[in-house]
Amino acid sequence: MPADLMELKEMIETAMPGSTAAVLDETGTGDHLLAEVKAPQFEGLSRIDQHRLVKAAVRSRFDDGTIHALTIKVVE
Amino acid sequence: MADQELTERVRELISENPVLLFMKGTPSAPRCGFSMRTVQVLDQMGVEYGAIDVLPALQPLREVTTEISDWETFPQLYVNGELIGGADIVEEMFASGELATSLGVEQPEVAAEPEAEAPKSAQDLPAQSPPLKIEGS
Repeated sequence: MPADLMELKEMIETAMPGSTAAVLDETGTGDHLLAEVKAPQFEGLSRIDQHRLVKAAVRSRFDDGTIHALTIKVVE
Repeated sequence: MADQELTERVRELISENPVLLFMKGTPSAPRCGFSMRTVQVLDQMGVEYGAIDVLPALQPLREVTTEISDWETFPQLYVNGELIGGADIVEEMFASGELATSLGVEQPEVAAEPEAEAPKSAQDLPAQSPPLKIEGS
């Protein structure tokens, strides 16, 4: 089942209150996605920890195989 | 639950190698585009690094790195015992100069790509490996 981009956006924004996320399917394959996220929670974190936060928000969709790859772009 | 012996071995490798890359394939023969991109960045930095090919034990190693670093995809670059990131993060940090800082080296000068050397068409590209042969047709 292809990923529901709107659901992923909401999962990220719910997990990180105050954030805004845009989830795009750049390759058109439905499972290799790009998330552009701006979040107050990123302040002071290393890049890897910023990415961990976003991944944790959508982990259930990795676990059930809906997404295989998520490129994360942190928006300042 | 990750294999405890393997977990210990991985912890040792991470602490013994100031710069350590877990990748698919080897630096001279990467088996995945993300691993290749990470190797290309590291090679430009002029640092010595250890490289571990994860493919022979992909799933067990995935369990180990999930346990010790909360990260399950490869490549993974460790510097001074800390996971820095995969290809995307390494490239971003290279571009911003943070990677050089974290490696304790000078940011390499990026030579401007001479336009004349760019391939003009697909025919000028170096030869690729032959297309996969499809059996049984």
